[in-house]
Amino acid sequence: MTEQTETLLQLRGVETFYGTIQALKGVSIDVRDGEIVTLIGANGAGKSTTLRSINGLNHPRKGSIVFKGRDITYQSAHSIVKMGIAQSPEGRKLFPRMTVTENLEMGAFQRHDRAGVREDMDRVFTLFPRLAERRTQKAGTMSGGEQQMCAIGRALMARPTLLMLDEPSMGLAPIFVERIFETIVEVNKQGTSILLVEQNALMALHVANRGYVLETGTVALADEAKALAQNEQVRKTYLGET
Amino acid sequence: MPFFATLLVGILIAWLVVNFVQGPAYFTTIAFIGLTNGAVYALVALGYTLVYGILELINFAHGDVFMLGGMFSATMVVSVFHLAPHASIGALVAAIVGSLFVAMAACGLINVAVERIAYRPLRGAPRLAPLITAIGMSFILENIAIGWKGPGYTAVPSVLPTSAVFSVSGITYTWEKLIVVLITVPVLLVLVWLVQKTRQGKAMRATAQDRDAAAMMGIDVNRTISFTFLIAGGLAGAGGLVYALYFGQIRYDTGFQLGLIAFTAAVFGGIGNLPGAVLGALVIGFIQAFNEGLTWHAPGSDWTESIVFSILILVLVFRPEGLLGERTPEGG
Repeated sequence: MTEQTETLLQLRGVETFYGTIQALKGVSIDVRDGEIVTLIGANGAGKSTTLRSINGLNHPRKGSIVFKGRDITYQSAHSIVKMGIAQSPEGRKLFPRMTVTENLEMGAFQRHDRAGVREDMDRVFTLFPRLAERRTQKAGTMSGGEQQMCAIGRALMARPTLLMLDEPSMGLAPIFVERIFETIVEVNKQGTSILLVEQNALMALHVANRGYVLETGTVALADEAKALAQNEQVRKTYLGET
Repeated sequence: MPFFATLLVGILIAWLVVNFVQGPAYFTTIAFIGLTNGAVYALVALGYTLVYGILELINFAHGDVFMLGGMFSATMVVSVFHLAPHASIGALVAAIVGSLFVAMAACGLINVAVERIAYRPLRGAPRLAPLITAIGMSFILENIAIGWKGPGYTAVPSVLPTSAVFSVSGITYTWEKLIVVLITVPVLLVLVWLVQKTRQGKAMRATAQDRDAAAMMGIDVNRTISFTFLIAGGLAGAGGLVYALYFGQIRYDTGFQLGLIAFTAAVFGGIGNLPGAVLGALVIGFIQAFNEGLTWHAPGSDWTESIVFSILILVLVFRPEGLLGERTPEGG
């Protein structure tokens, strides 16, 4: 059913290293326009490294990354943001000595439409009323869940074409996890494509269109999310069934 | 241990009070000297703290950039503006503003070049590597200064008027000291505005707090770091001008000595913290002036550096983050 939509992001044979250690051994994935795609896999499988390869913080040694038809494999991180990829990174990486509002403003750093930025700020505060209550608080002093909301909100402030979320549910109370996933679906409905890295494979496969299973730096499985959720091997390894 | 610290502070205050009572007018005059010295140190200390804040690197070449600023200023004032003592106010202002602009621009660009050549290629290397290249750059800049001006002192004629701004009941405040403050304060205000209000300032603060996250916001991290070195160098250039005009002589190693004091001021106030650097610089300026100027049981100028560094050790033992530094969970 997604055949007619265009490919937004395409990775082909991406190999990325940390020093001499090879973290990705030829990863090929696609994100099509309007999709939610999830990467699942164990710790150290290369999920976060895939995101760091895309966002320009850790350039691959081999392979290619094409976004909106342009090769971005060796683009600098800041110009990739300008092209429309924003990220809520692993460990949140907020600016701890800035307030919530300032953090959100930083998310819109490369935008120049003041009215649009204000509109998006209101949108983030509507999505996360908790953040609105704490807008003058220093980000470093908030709880983990609040920081996670702020990190997602900050990524949304870039008004990206592709939103990459790294472990958005990590360390959150179940009630917040549900809220975060509702938000992901909502943001996607408003037209943003999403690449979602998650430990919580059950939730991720529930909201995603398609999924990839990463194992030690390679794509072990790729399928529709529903099919992956039914896959016996996936159920055993990642959904905790026996 | 708090008892020990309280005792020390108590003795210090008692000593200051006795000196004040013995000669209030003289004490105030000495305090004005401290304020002036502190203003010069502040301009240099801010450069250390700005660069440390963004790269966590002690830029050992910074003091030498300041020294070159002093030499640029000396050259401008003497050879370009032909300023002589007792010049007209118009000529004095024109020469100071012109020299300030040249010294700040030149030092800013030198500092950017230092980062580009000696620090950026080592961005991913272990911490020790850029520290060593910083020391290397320091020697290179000093040798450039020797090649340019020779190993002896370059004298700057005392062009600043030494007449009194006011003289009330024995307390005299002279124009040369006021001019130092008049140059320093606007430069500091512009810096605060730059860091707090401008887009580049926001990029600097973001990069200082988390470099990867800043890149993810679309901030050009390399450009932001270059900009920080430009500002730090500009401040050093302003400091060089003020130093050359106020103290009247400068040598290739002036930057090493003053740089050490300014760096101490930055650590004292809390490295990475801008108001802290100014506060630390003023405190050291006062310590120096009181120690060298007061008459009742003052240790004298031979002891200044020992005292400054003893206080630094005490501060670091009891408050490692400095006077205004934040106790952050990540230990910065």
